[in-house]
Amino acid sequence: MNSGSVYVLVTSGRTLSQGRAMEKGKMTSDYEDAVAVCELDATSMESLGIENGETVVVKSGIGEIAVKAKLNKNLHPGLAFIPCGPYFNYLLDSYTQHTGMPGFKSLAVTIDAAPEMKISTIEELAKKIKEGK
Amino acid sequence: MTEHLILKNGVVFDPMNGVEGEVMDICVSEGKIVEKAPSNAKVIDLKGNTVMAGGVDPHSHILGSKLNVARVVSPDVNRHHPYPATKKTRSGVAGIIPSSFATGFLYSAMGYTTVVEPALPATKALGAWEEIEDIPGLDIAMLPLFCNSMISFKYVQDGDISGLAAYIAWTLKKVGGLGVKVVNPGGTYAWAYGKNVCGLDDEVPEWDVTPRTIMTGLAEAVQELGLPHQMHFHPTNLGRPGNVHTTMQQLDAIGGIKPSGKKKEVVHLTHMAFDCLGVVEEGMSNWKDVASGGLTFADYYNKHKHFTVDLGQITFGQSMTMTGDGPFQHSLYLLTGGKAKWSNIPVDVELPGGAGIVPFTFEPKSPANAVQWVGSLEFALNIKDLWRMFLSTDHPNGGPFLKYPLLISWLMSKKQREHWLGKVHKFASERSTLAEIEREYSLNDIAITTRAAPAKILGLEKTKGHLGLGADADIAVYGFNPEKTDLANNPDLILKHFLQTEFTFKGGLQVSKKGIVGKQLHSRVISVHPELNQDLSQRIDRELEEMMSKWFSHSFSNYPVPKRYREHLEMPTVIDSTAVKA
Amino acid sequence: MTEANNIFNAVPCTFCGCLCDDIIIEVDGNRIVKNTNGCAISKERFIGHAENRCLEPTVSGKTVSLEKAIERAVEIITSSKRLLIYGLSSTENDAQREAYRLAELTGSVVDNTTSVCHGPTILGAQESGEATSSLAEVRHRSDLVIYWGANPAAAHPRHIPHYIRQPGEYIKDPKNDRKIWLIDIRETTTARMVDRFIRIEPRTDLEVIQTLRALIRGHKLDVSQVGGISIADLEEIAIAMKSAKYGTLFFGLGLTQSWGRHRNIDAAIRLIQDLNAHTKWGLLPMRGHYNVSGANKTSTWVTGYPYAVDFARGYPRFSPGEYTAVDMLARGEADALLNIAADPVAHFPRSAVSHLTKIPVINIDPKINMTSQVAEVNIPAAIAGIECDGAATRMDGLPLYLRKVIEPPEGVIPDRDILRMIIKSLEKVMK
Ligand code: SF4
Ligand SMILES: [Zn+2]
Repeated sequence: MNSGSVYVLVTSGRTLSQGRAMEKGKMTSDYEDAVAVCELDATSMESLGIENGETVVVKSGIGEIAVKAKLNKNLHPGLAFIPCGPYFNYLLDSYTQHTGMPGFKSLAVTIDAAPEMKISTIEELAKKIKEGK
Repeated sequence: MTEHLILKNGVVFDPMNGVEGEVMDICVSEGKIVEKAPSNAKVIDLKGNTVMAGGVDPHSHILGSKLNVARVVSPDVNRHHPYPATKKTRSGVAGIIPSSFATGFLYSAMGYTTVVEPALPATKALGAWEEIEDIPGLDIAMLPLFCNSMISFKYVQDGDISGLAAYIAWTLKKVGGLGVKVVNPGGTYAWAYGKNVCGLDDEVPEWDVTPRTIMTGLAEAVQELGLPHQMHFHPTNLGRPGNVHTTMQQLDAIGGIKPSGKKKEVVHLTHMAFDCLGVVEEGMSNWKDVASGGLTFADYYNKHKHFTVDLGQITFGQSMTMTGDGPFQHSLYLLTGGKAKWSNIPVDVELPGGAGIVPFTFEPKSPANAVQWVGSLEFALNIKDLWRMFLSTDHPNGGPFLKYPLLISWLMSKKQREHWLGKVHKFASERSTLAEIEREYSLNDIAITTRAAPAKILGLEKTKGHLGLGADADIAVYGFNPEKTDLANNPDLILKHFLQTEFTFKGGLQVSKKGIVGKQLHSRVISVHPELNQDLSQRIDRELEEMMSKWFSHSFSNYPVPKRYREHLEMPTVIDSTAVKA
Repeated sequence: MTEANNIFNAVPCTFCGCLCDDIIIEVDGNRIVKNTNGCAISKERFIGHAENRCLEPTVSGKTVSLEKAIERAVEIITSSKRLLIYGLSSTENDAQREAYRLAELTGSVVDNTTSVCHGPTILGAQESGEATSSLAEVRHRSDLVIYWGANPAAAHPRHIPHYIRQPGEYIKDPKNDRKIWLIDIRETTTARMVDRFIRIEPRTDLEVIQTLRALIRGHKLDVSQVGGISIADLEEIAIAMKSAKYGTLFFGLGLTQSWGRHRNIDAAIRLIQDLNAHTKWGLLPMRGHYNVSGANKTSTWVTGYPYAVDFARGYPRFSPGEYTAVDMLARGEADALLNIAADPVAHFPRSAVSHLTKIPVINIDPKINMTSQVAEVNIPAAIAGIECDGAATRMDGLPLYLRKVIEPPEGVIPDRDILRMIIKSLEKVMK
């Protein structure tokens, strides 16, 4: 059963479906399906009490976003993965340590099950950012 | 866009035509020097000015991946040298490895109009052509590298000089090259195995070839084809004290090749300052015992006529060493105790071990640097025939091309040499004879070694390096009166005038005035296209397709540089090489 | 060029830095019907080239003529004090060269996507140099290939099958004569394609690299494990690296974007340099966008610097962290953005994106992307390498000529021509 939050480092990166969907077009549902995802290991899934495909909310120091949970058996506990794209970036601060490069890898986050939350579409997400939410 | 010009009353130095300091008028029409300019020609009075043909620099690294890696790795060397944009000219940076636009402009301001990039990996030629689009105001040529290519090795191993010649001909046509560059033959290849070669008959890993068979094979192939420029040669053992002896051995080996045309020289030895280091008597081949090899080599030069030379003078201060000699660059990095920023760039098939880049500062107080500095000067001041030699710093290896005026001042002024001998480590005086040399180059000597001789060495003497009828109207006007200016006793004037001309004309168009470039001209590219007989041509197409498809990582049909990048720039000279046997 | 009827051979694929140039494209009328040799992404790119296109210029969401869109773009540019020009990695070299001209003319900042991919690689090289490699040489000679923080299975699908797991002149049997390893914090799909997967703890790349350096130099370390790997294993890895005949390190964003950034790369470069005292090693960044290497190259020859270039003083200056796009936006410094062939709204952190939504944006792209949603001016472009020609640079520095295999949609022109139009109108206005 749902036993509360998990604390993990989440990293972002390319996936094949993200790459393909990006080529097709970013405003397609393919793209949204490819990037509004958080891969979790079995232990985390269990402690969140969720099944593959259920919604989770990921919170970082600067915000939170709902995405679909996806079981990745090869992930090590303590690490989660969100494909590179606007959902991950919504959680990311812009500090670059004066190098130009934000910290796209290993962002500390809290994850909770969120069956009641709706995953924003790409358009909604763009609107949200625009309105400064 | 062409102008007609009459340049009146200048004091002209045109050694190719036997003109030494005569007051003459020069007429220009449609980019060429002519007998008489049309009546609407613009007249410029050059009374009290020195006039020479535009400078010709056959060895200066002005483009390509090694230069870009150097710029990327060392932004610090350019940071304090801005080159601002004007209404007519683009901006850039102008440190020791200037950006492309600035490179063209700085050369124009110095009175140079022809520059050769002497190390082109042919596989990457497309990028070179794109860069030339952004290097203004020059006639540019490129020398592809053939010396460590697996394809060359195959032909050398088979003793198939025709095949080798055909590979060269094919490449020059497909990528637009002028001649053949050879760098540490076999050594750069061995570097793919973490090794080098030093002796003429050393083994090269995996292949039945040696430095000797590679260098003589390539020199022979160049002669077979009848290329206008002899094999351009960077020997093995670069930068090793005592290498003057191995360099002479290598030149001896190549000396056996018969010249095929009128030209007697079969090899051009480049940057001799790095190739002709001596050692003190009873000394060992190490930096502690290094001595000038200048006198030894001048003696050899005076006795042997089968080769030409450029200096590769080191000029002190920050420089950027970059050569196709990967193992040498690595040894230079080790010499800095592994502190230097060492870069290495292998190129598919043509340069397996890779070119290297190491930023380096030549220190006046370093005994080794002082000796290397003095060696090439001692050589230049002891040779008899200046027509086989030209000035260079192997830009940016020995220093940037912007140091040419300094080099000229050392050759023209004993006073300047004495001043510098006082500044540098005492070994420069103790281990050479420079202090006793009285000779001072005349302006005519400078005109020979900066335009006439280099044009001849490149085989471009029809249109370059002189001011006779039919020559390209590339003209440098220096703002001093040679009859009234004592340059030898005022070396600062040499520095001033040779850095910035009064006027530079390129193809009859005025590109700069008092060092300010006011016109951004497209450069042109000089290349040679050897025509092979049909049988050989068919054979090489077939064999190269087979080898390149097997060895390269990209498609055979993507090797040549497409017309779209070339046709508006290239001025190919077609030469008849049909006599090369199939 | 080899084009028989409607078949184009040896076409470079313009998606990732592999720039595979053995693609065969079949065109039927105005449709690409077949892509042979390309990977799944390549197929999507070519066959799906007409999908999700931006077909007409818009200003504030309204369709306008190209001339009107340029006019508005020029207004935005002339009334801005601190224009940022960004993107450029998914277009060909000539478009990039025009962008620098525009930046010089307007005194703007021009940055390419390097700043958010391999920018730290360049900063690392500025500390230490770089001993690189080339793809054919790896195939012919490399007996040990290590991927570090890279996931080619997803990002460069043919890197392993096309370039690495192939026989070479001196590696006759790629299965046995060449070992491929992966070092990463996560067991990716690539882990299943390699001979050995070594997992390290997140944020420990720098420590692991430095440990390997120490071990290779023969130092004994008084710890039992580093980054989750036992010292015994690390010792064994160090010995294997030292005894390889020709080693190659391919590294990805797992090294450049993670904790340590350029310090990781600096250390990796030094590791490779150290190894060259014993044997032969080289390294290569796994460049992502097909022409991000080209963007660095063109920027370098034109301006002297590879990215993050400011022309405010009429000449180029370089300062990563200052003139890099994310910083320019996050600081609120840029007051207008000209975006070419990139999607910063999808790929930048939130506060940078949030500033971007507050300033006028001119967006030039073939497709509708997230940035088009917030841009005031959208100008459609032809897809380089499909609808217009050009040149690009492979991850190892090899330049390749890109093909036009099909006409762009009616009225749609290449990036370079759009930029030339902007420059031309600007020159008129600025006279
Ligand atoms: S690996 Fe990259 S370049 Fe090669 S086909 Fe796939 S996407 Fe294109
Ligand atoms: Zn050189």
